[in-house]
Amino acid sequence: MAMHPFAYANANSLEEAAANLDGETRPLAGGTDLVALMKDGLVAPKRLVNLKTVPGLAGVVAHADGLHIGALTTLSNLASNPELQERRDLAALVEALEESATPQLRHTATIGGNLLQWPRCWYFRNPQVPCWRKGGRRCFAFQGENKYHTIFGGGPCFAPHPSDPSVALMALDASVLVVGPQDRDHRNGFRVVPLAEFFVLPRRDHEWADGYHPVTLLETDEIVAAVVVPQAADGARSAFVKVMERGAWDFALVSAAVSLTMDGNRVAASRVVLGGVAPIPWRANQAEAALRGERVSEDGVARAVRAAVADARPLGHNEYKVALAKQALAQAFRALA
Amino acid sequence: MPKIRKTKVEFEGRIEEREVIVEEEHVETWPRGATLRLVGKPTPRVDGVARVSGRALYTHDVQLPRMLIGRFLRSPHPHARIKAVDSAKAEALPGVALVWHRYHPAPIATLEGREIFPEEVAYEGAEVAFVAARDDRTAEDALALINVTYELLPFAFDLESATAEDAPKVLLDEGNWVSREGDVYQRGDVGTGLGDADEVVELTFTTPIASHCCLETHGSAASWEGDQVTVWHSTQSVFGTRSSVADALGIPMDKVRVISDYIGGGFGSKWGAEPYTLMAILAARETRRPVKAVLGREEEHLAAGYRPGSWQRVRLGAREDGTLTLIEHDAKVATGAFGGGGPVIGGPSKDLYACPNVRTVVRTSRTNADHARAFRAPGYVEGTFALEGAMDALAHKLGMDPLTLRMKNYAEMSPSRGGPYTFKGLRQAYEMGAERFGWSRAVPTDLPNGQGPWRRGRGIASQIWGGGGGPPANAIVRLLPDGTAELSVGVQDIGTGTKTVLTQVAAEELGLPLEAVRCIIGDTLPAPYGPGSGGSVTLASTTPAVRSACREVLRQVIALAAVMLGLEDASVDDFDVERGDIVYRKDPDRRLAFARVTAKMGDYTIVAKGARGPNPDDKAVNTFGAHFAEVAVNVETGQLRVERIVAVHDIGRVVNPLTATSQVYGGVMMGVGYATTEERIIDPATGLQLTANLEDYKVPLVTDTPAIEVLFVDVADTEANSVGSKGLGEPPIIPVAAAIANAVFDAVGVRVTDLPITPDRLLALLSRASNAGFSKEVE
Ligand SMILES: Cc1cc2nc3c(=O)[nH]c(=O)nc-3n(C[C@H](O)[C@H](O)[C@H](O)COP(=O)(O)OP(=O)(O)OC[C@H]3O[C@@H](n4cnc5c(N)ncnc54)[C@H](O)[C@@H]3O)c2cc1C
Repeated sequence: MAMHPFAYANANSLEEAAANLDGETRPLAGGTDLVALMKDGLVAPKRLVNLKTVPGLAGVVAHADGLHIGALTTLSNLASNPELQERRDLAALVEALEESATPQLRHTATIGGNLLQWPRCWYFRNPQVPCWRKGGRRCFAFQGENKYHTIFGGGPCFAPHPSDPSVALMALDASVLVVGPQDRDHRNGFRVVPLAEFFVLPRRDHEWADGYHPVTLLETDEIVAAVVVPQAADGARSAFVKVMERGAWDFALVSAAVSLTMDGNRVAASRVVLGGVAPIPWRANQAEAALRGERVSEDGVARAVRAAVADARPLGHNEYKVALAKQALAQAFRALA
Repeated sequence: MPKIRKTKVEFEGRIEEREVIVEEEHVETWPRGATLRLVGKPTPRVDGVARVSGRALYTHDVQLPRMLIGRFLRSPHPHARIKAVDSAKAEALPGVALVWHRYHPAPIATLEGREIFPEEVAYEGAEVAFVAARDDRTAEDALALINVTYELLPFAFDLESATAEDAPKVLLDEGNWVSREGDVYQRGDVGTGLGDADEVVELTFTTPIASHCCLETHGSAASWEGDQVTVWHSTQSVFGTRSSVADALGIPMDKVRVISDYIGGGFGSKWGAEPYTLMAILAARETRRPVKAVLGREEEHLAAGYRPGSWQRVRLGAREDGTLTLIEHDAKVATGAFGGGGPVIGGPSKDLYACPNVRTVVRTSRTNADHARAFRAPGYVEGTFALEGAMDALAHKLGMDPLTLRMKNYAEMSPSRGGPYTFKGLRQAYEMGAERFGWSRAVPTDLPNGQGPWRRGRGIASQIWGGGGGPPANAIVRLLPDGTAELSVGVQDIGTGTKTVLTQVAAEELGLPLEAVRCIIGDTLPAPYGPGSGGSVTLASTTPAVRSACREVLRQVIALAAVMLGLEDASVDDFDVERGDIVYRKDPDRRLAFARVTAKMGDYTIVAKGARGPNPDDKAVNTFGAHFAEVAVNVETGQLRVERIVAVHDIGRVVNPLTATSQVYGGVMMGVGYATTEERIIDPATGLQLTANLEDYKVPLVTDTPAIEVLFVDVADTEANSVGSKGLGEPPIIPVAAAIANAVFDAVGVRVTDLPITPDRLLALLSRASNAGFSKEVE
């Protein structure tokens, strides 16, 4: 497949970058996903705006409302950030980063791009296949080869969200700071969107001009400036578990992130998120409810884990993911016990 | 003087009797325990620095002045009829030199009897059009401008759909079965074997389609000078390529020179001229410019071959004491649209054990896929997985140790040929492996059973393969006046270290240091014939020829030395070559340094040719091995970790322990991938390959590498050939999957009969077993 010609511009500020965006101009971060899609002829933007030249978009800064992680921070820089490394409440994020992709990719891939990456579904990525996610009529995985696909929230697209860090970030109650045109609901050009709202389940009416159904509610004229991780309660801890088919360079069959705040030996609050199982990072509300006020005992965990998968709807070839999700969650709890 | 002789040669599980031209071998076999200076010593690759520094020239690296780039448009459909091709826009694109397709064919339209651009395309990735352009981008742009009208046809994407009752036709004019009755081998009688059995096990296995994943994708470059063409071809056989190019073009062989200096992996998939080769050659002739055509990674998956998937049923019968009474092995494979013969899946069942009643069948069907190709021990990898899995199940049923059961049925004589082996070191391999691995000891305790989700287990599997090689193979040695030598052999180094072992053997024989021998391979121009590197034959075929050429050089040097020592009347046999000196045996004080003789040569070059002698009559030459695997299985997640493999092989004399060991590392890793992660998946609805990349087709990584311990029996097989060595290219992959699956059984009590052993499969088996209450400790 031939790559289409495109124009390329370096942005000098966020405002300038945002002002230039439209359906045919895409922001470029590390390019590990976008350029691959362009090479496969899956997307063909007319222009790219390079965000890497915008000053101040990379790095981690502590603010009153929490840690601000610049969207252009590479996965490897983020993983080795001393503050992150030290904080037990953020352990899930570091673990997720360290298990993402490969060292080479982590040196290039950015956290913003990671949240905004497109599904890895082998039908979606095949230029030959006109699947629903990219404007076609149906999902080919639904009745096809779906061992890697969703067990929650699927339809019309059944491709799981591929990002590991997003699973951890959702468990840490993170939000994204979005820059866009002044005239919409942006205060001072910014709006803050909790990740739980940022990722959207596939919907027919949520569609871009090119027919693609995006995975987040980010509009084509918006940019993610930062990821904000709020200050956790004292003593909060988190853990992340990823199950792969090989030792590295593999997307999660299933992953699980758990963050816990204890009140004595009982759970005061928890956030439980599963990855690799749904079109978006999947919050397991029932598990959280089952844990509230409980001890993290074998029984308590078993109840929570069962609750987490109670609504699972496996496809023809991925029944095993239900068992895996339980085990991954149980492992994450064990790591925190 | 050359003579015509008959000799038996085993190649990829089939024994052929060939009439070959052989020349007298003057060479005495190196005896067992011979003290050799270079042979048998760990020797770094003579081209190692060139390889790691980027100086080694692969076909992909060929850059010639004014060179054009050739690319193919390929069918996006598994089965279709081409109604029209409109290439006007592509032809008009600046920088495009030519476009060829069905309705605007190249000057030669067929290769090996098959149309290059047929009307009926029978697999995704089939060639539809060829473009030569000034660079890769332009060629890609041109491809996008070609408009093809397809009439879609029904397709059969796998063995099951191709062999079903109302299966769609893979090719409109052919039946789907290539061989419905199958290739049958039989000795004794199945009924007798069953009748004599106290215990019977019967298991059904499936193995996946596996892609070769050569690091250097397939490719060729071509350049004409007058009526002579030079072809750079990433190939396992420069001579095979020369004859296939000459055939395709209808020109004499001497007009064709084939170069394959370095090859980034072939594994059975890279032989003679292919469509990209022929198109590059023809486009180069047409445009009077060099043309290079190499495949992209996706094309490599679509149109460069694969190991076919298989369905296999194995039935074993044995007496209470473990004596085998029956081996019945039924296999089905699908080998693609052009339906080449199936691989010899029954090979191991025929020959690994002494058993009076054996029947093996391999049935072959077409599918809408590119044609299957040989892939590192074709058939034997698949067949060994099934046979050795069934042996493990039998051992379990009999309550016998799996190693004891194998020893019990040890075949001293070749079961299928009836006669003896030149040497069989499998017993030693079992013993050495058991000792090193600690087979008789309990499972190591650092990961105790029952604690946490991980369970450990151990398994074994064994292997037989050919690898004896044979004639014809030649070598030419030139001794230069400065006392250095040039060795020229018509083979290629597909990564195994061929160049290094040839250099070692020549230097050994000539009494020269390694640095004084330059080995030239991978080029048909200077070299006499050498075999293709397949069937693990390269070393055993060529090193004896090298010895014989070196012997001839020495005879000539000795003749000169004799004159210089005033011993004109002495016979050549009265002299020895000792540490760089030529020594008169009857009076060792009369000696002359080698260099003194060559210094006298002035501008004279001693040239000698050597040839591989015949194989021994009525004795089988085979390689053997045993692998011991230790795995850890997570009963909660179904994850499998291969922790340790002890691999022991009998390949006769080990010429270079260093390259031999790395060959085993590579084979084991390829086997680990086959056993645990690699699988080509084809979409049933569209017939498209979903894994045509290295993200979804999962080769194992460093993180998946077990501790690999390599041992060799290392007893010279003195009856096999004058070097006493056999091949090692393929053996190390053969027993890996079976050893791993057997270890999984040992760990968690479920028998995995379908590869690869991925978490989804293991979890399904584990939950089935725990539901049935077989395995109490598992959740
Ligand atoms: C082989 C391979 C293996 C991988 N394995 C994993 C894995 O195991 N786990 C995992 O989590 N990920 C994995 N990934 C995905 C990888 O992490 C993402 O490709 C990467 O994080 C994307 O970041 P980027 O900076 O390269 O984004 P780009 O490719 O530059 O951009 C991705 C998308 O986001 C948009 N975009 C980027 N930044 C912004 C922004 N600030 N505001 C608005 N839009 C933006 C782009 O327009 C584009 O649409 C893998 C990728 C590959 C290729």
